Amino acid sequence: MAAPCVSCGAAASYRLFLAGRVSFAREQGLWKAAAAGLQTGTRCQILRLKHSPAVTTKKNVAALRRESYTVDFIKKQIEEFNIGKRHLANMMGEDPETFTQEDIDRAITYLFPSGLFEKRARPIMKHPEEIFPKQRAIQWGEDGRPFHFLFYTGKQSYYSLMHEAYGKVLHVEERQDQLRAKGLFSEKPKTKDPIGSRWLIKEELEEMLVEKLSDQDYAQFIRLLERLSALPCDAAEEEFVGRFRRTVTVQSKKHLIEPLQYDEQGMAFSTGRGNAPWRRGKRKTANAEAVVHGHGSGKIEINGVDYLLYFPVTQDREQLMFPFHFLDRLGKHDVTCTVSGGGRSSQAGAIRLAVARALCSFITEDEVEWMRQAGLLTTDPRVRERKKPGQEGARRKFTWKKR
Amino acid sequence: MAAPTVKVALGWSGLGLGVRRAALRLPGLVQVRWSRYGPEYQDPQTDKEYYRKPLAQLTEEETYERELRKTQVIKAAPATKTCSVFEDPVISKFTNMMMKGGNKILARSLMTQTLEAVKRKQFEKYHAASAEEQATIERNPYTIFHQALKNCEPVIGLVPILKGGHFYQVPVPLADRRRRFLAMKWMITECREKKPRRMLMPEKLSQELLEAFYNRGPVIKRKHDMHKMAEANRALAHYRWW
Repeated sequence: MAAPCVSCGAAASYRLFLAGRVSFAREQGLWKAAAAGLQTGTRCQILRLKHSPAVTTKKNVAALRRESYTVDFIKKQIEEFNIGKRHLANMMGEDPETFTQEDIDRAITYLFPSGLFEKRARPIMKHPEEIFPKQRAIQWGEDGRPFHFLFYTGKQSYYSLMHEAYGKVLHVEERQDQLRAKGLFSEKPKTKDPIGSRWLIKEELEEMLVEKLSDQDYAQFIRLLERLSALPCDAAEEEFVGRFRRTVTVQSKKHLIEPLQYDEQGMAFSTGRGNAPWRRGKRKTANAEAVVHGHGSGKIEINGVDYLLYFPVTQDREQLMFPFHFLDRLGKHDVTCTVSGGGRSSQAGAIRLAVARALCSFITEDEVEWMRQAGLLTTDPRVRERKKPGQEGARRKFTWKKR
Repeated sequence: MAAPTVKVALGWSGLGLGVRRAALRLPGLVQVRWSRYGPEYQDPQTDKEYYRKPLAQLTEEETYERELRKTQVIKAAPATKTCSVFEDPVISKFTNMMMKGGNKILARSLMTQTLEAVKRKQFEKYHAASAEEQATIERNPYTIFHQALKNCEPVIGLVPILKGGHFYQVPVPLADRRRRFLAMKWMITECREKKPRRMLMPEKLSQELLEAFYNRGPVIKRKHDMHKMAEANRALAHYRWW
């Protein structure tokens, strides 16, 4: 169905371009359309775009044409990759037969340590399929006649996929009609688990078909698949639909809950401390470690000082109370914690996080999930934004003077 | 299964389940405002009762909502939000608007003093009044605050629209959040600018709140002025295109 993803054209030259892309002058209309589109866009981010002056350069004709690789070139690259993999395994003293991609990554980071911040700029060694973009073979024969009957639509893989899906829908409906005519049809409601899988997104579909799609095309395709999945299908159709579904991870599984520890008196306690960084509490530049005791009277001690003296502001004390109040365990635990760095509000936030993480050991998994959904178990990633040159602050610009 | 199917159909177009949509990238345009959270992060739900509801009582939509939230990454709760029963989002918003230079401690203390002053005044009136009037006097400062702000909300607003080289003030219906914002803004501006020199903010604010509660006072007058202007300019209403 999808065209074989192989490079095209014997006459194409395969120059590797490491330089950035050339930008062209764009019309004003594009910017306006984009700005209008963004008004109705995502609700959680306010995007205010400003138009940056476009750079016009001499038209580099060679750079315009997309790099294309021949079949032989890709094959040679794959051979070189496999030989290189064996050499690497030998160098590292491992077995070349069972050398996986993770081993390759580890070996490369060991042999070529890089201090670059951008992870994508560091040396990598991956299979050529992942590095060179997928391309299509020539779609027509010697006489110029295209192979696929839908070639002149422009998006042959997409339309052939739609054609196939619609064919399946008609087939299922025909089968339903036959059953109804015989009287054997039973109205069975379809049970599908609501969450657990999702339709693949437009980018994934484009990658699968090696074709550019528009949003309307994608919408149409998903509607058709929904229609197909709503009908009673047999195994072949289910498999066809399953090709376009991806599993969704459940977030709560990612948390690791430390088991309770017991001290000399046999009382349970749990720490928000430990070697793993996610056990502590952090907010801006404040770091906190908390020990929560199982049986207590609601006493909180911070750096050896009572919480009422350490946090004279009500808001900070409310933040300390938040995890306990959420779990209805207000007077039942004792907390001893140490905190350093940051200001008063960030220290309170850091202690809140450490206490919430320590409390995870005392409660059920459901309650852990509730705490996560209340935002108690997430480290706040907001930090102070740096000042930029040419501006007075992070966002504030210098006073604009006309002359 | 109609509801979940519909939800799924809507889901893919917006923020997908557990999938990070790349932020809108357009050539020639630079993104100016961004957030440390990615677009897939959802706002936290701090209400205790939402979680304590037994599963048997949930509707299908709510069950779907619950399942969906399990797959989503959630932002951290901000420092001003708790699950406390005493917390009021309107009061928090008003406190933030009163705040100057990031001095939240001062703003919050002014707010508590205002509510205390309102309560005191109402109690004085209560003790001085006869039995029939006592039933009509409202003593809860929170209800007075909410009602006062609701009374100050304008229904229709004016927007300057450029047509033929001139700016015309066109009457336009306002969204809920715009109305609430205007009510609070007018109240704060009124209290800051139009008070005698030595009068403190809580005193002036409590006075204004009580007057707004009884539908008198300068803020209500300002709301009526806005309505009258909108009525006067109603011929220009067709300049609005949305």
